[in-house]
Amino acid sequence: MRALVVYCHPRKTSFTGAVRDVVVQKLEGVGADVRVLDLYARGFDPVLTAAEHEGYEACPDNCAPVESDVADIRWCDALIFIYPTWWYGLPAVLKGWLDRVFLPDVAFLMPDGENTTIRPGLQHITRLGVFTTCGASWWLTQFVGAPGKRTILRGIGVLCAKPVKKVFAAHYLMDSSTDKSRKKHLTRVAGKMDRLVGVPQRQAGPV
Amino acid sequence: MTRALVLYAHPCDDSFAAALHQNVVQTLTDRGWDVDDCDLYKEGFDPVLSDAGRRGYHEEPSNIEPVKDYVERLRACDALILCFPVWNFGYPAILKGFFDRIFLPGVSFKLIDGKVVPNLTHIKKLAAITTYGGTRVRATLAGDPPRMSVKRAVWHVTRPTKMRYLALYDMNRATEAKRAAYIAKVRKEMKDL
Repeated sequence: MRALVVYCHPRKTSFTGAVRDVVVQKLEGVGADVRVLDLYARGFDPVLTAAEHEGYEACPDNCAPVESDVADIRWCDALIFIYPTWWYGLPAVLKGWLDRVFLPDVAFLMPDGENTTIRPGLQHITRLGVFTTCGASWWLTQFVGAPGKRTILRGIGVLCAKPVKKVFAAHYLMDSSTDKSRKKHLTRVAGKMDRLVGVPQRQAGPV
Repeated sequence: MTRALVLYAHPCDDSFAAALHQNVVQTLTDRGWDVDDCDLYKEGFDPVLSDAGRRGYHEEPSNIEPVKDYVERLRACDALILCFPVWNFGYPAILKGFFDRIFLPGVSFKLIDGKVVPNLTHIKKLAAITTYGGTRVRATLAGDPPRMSVKRAVWHVTRPTKMRYLALYDMNRATEAKRAAYIAKVRKEMKDL
């Protein structure tokens, strides 16, 4: 398994960082190759420029400004996003990563002579995970339609392999979280990861 | 006089989004509104909520200091108009960052006993003018996140008396006639908003 973990939080000591650690540990536990993209640490610029927009459909030159990210996306078969939910959606840095990296010929294939509609381009991805925290309650998040979760699980999910295995876990009401609730959430994340990638096989010892 | 804040997010001057933006500003100005035309790309708006910004997020009122001008422009308007293309089932990052950085506690909402209480209720009119690459069916299957975000999340903190969400789906295959009809529709809706 080749897992790409896209991690987005400005603070080094955040709870989101603890979630990432559990995720990476679980991936390493099953012997997966892991790449972690820390978008804030890299100073990733989320603003799609005019030049990029003009060359958006000019494949393969459109990939040049984000070459390594495109290589990572093409390399992985498991894609995991870890971020805080802000304003019911993805932080701008993560949204901009999608805007700039999920290009034609990478994430999807544009309509051409034979095909009249957009077709999926991430069919090598068989596992998709989303781990987030929300300031809002579960109820308020549902009322707003959980746009961040849906942008990834449905918007990106439809571009992936069929079927794609999906997991999602969120800690709601983050601003009134306690040590206990955070610990419980990390246990939940670990359980979801087991569902997503399986549990390590115990080596059969000598009889 | 009604004061409108138009938040526009597209990098290219010759885009269809630019044409929509121009028609929006023109129509609102023609009906005598005072339009604050905020072109996020032209103004070089930085959408990245920083480490320091995140740390001070809940500290009122000091949280508004780094973005005071934008907060004042938001507080001064009676109508909020969002003009943007949908990219990857969401706002362009530069507009998403406007919500992250400007719609702060004490600005867009107040947390009272852990509950979100709307705090932009001076905004009486709310509109979004947008375009999608995908079809309406595809967007709906994905839960249409930007539509929900405007009609539920932004609505929740503004509680406008009038709200419009105007969208042209399936942009990549839209004919000239279809685009022209959409521009005409946008002009009419902006006149009646």
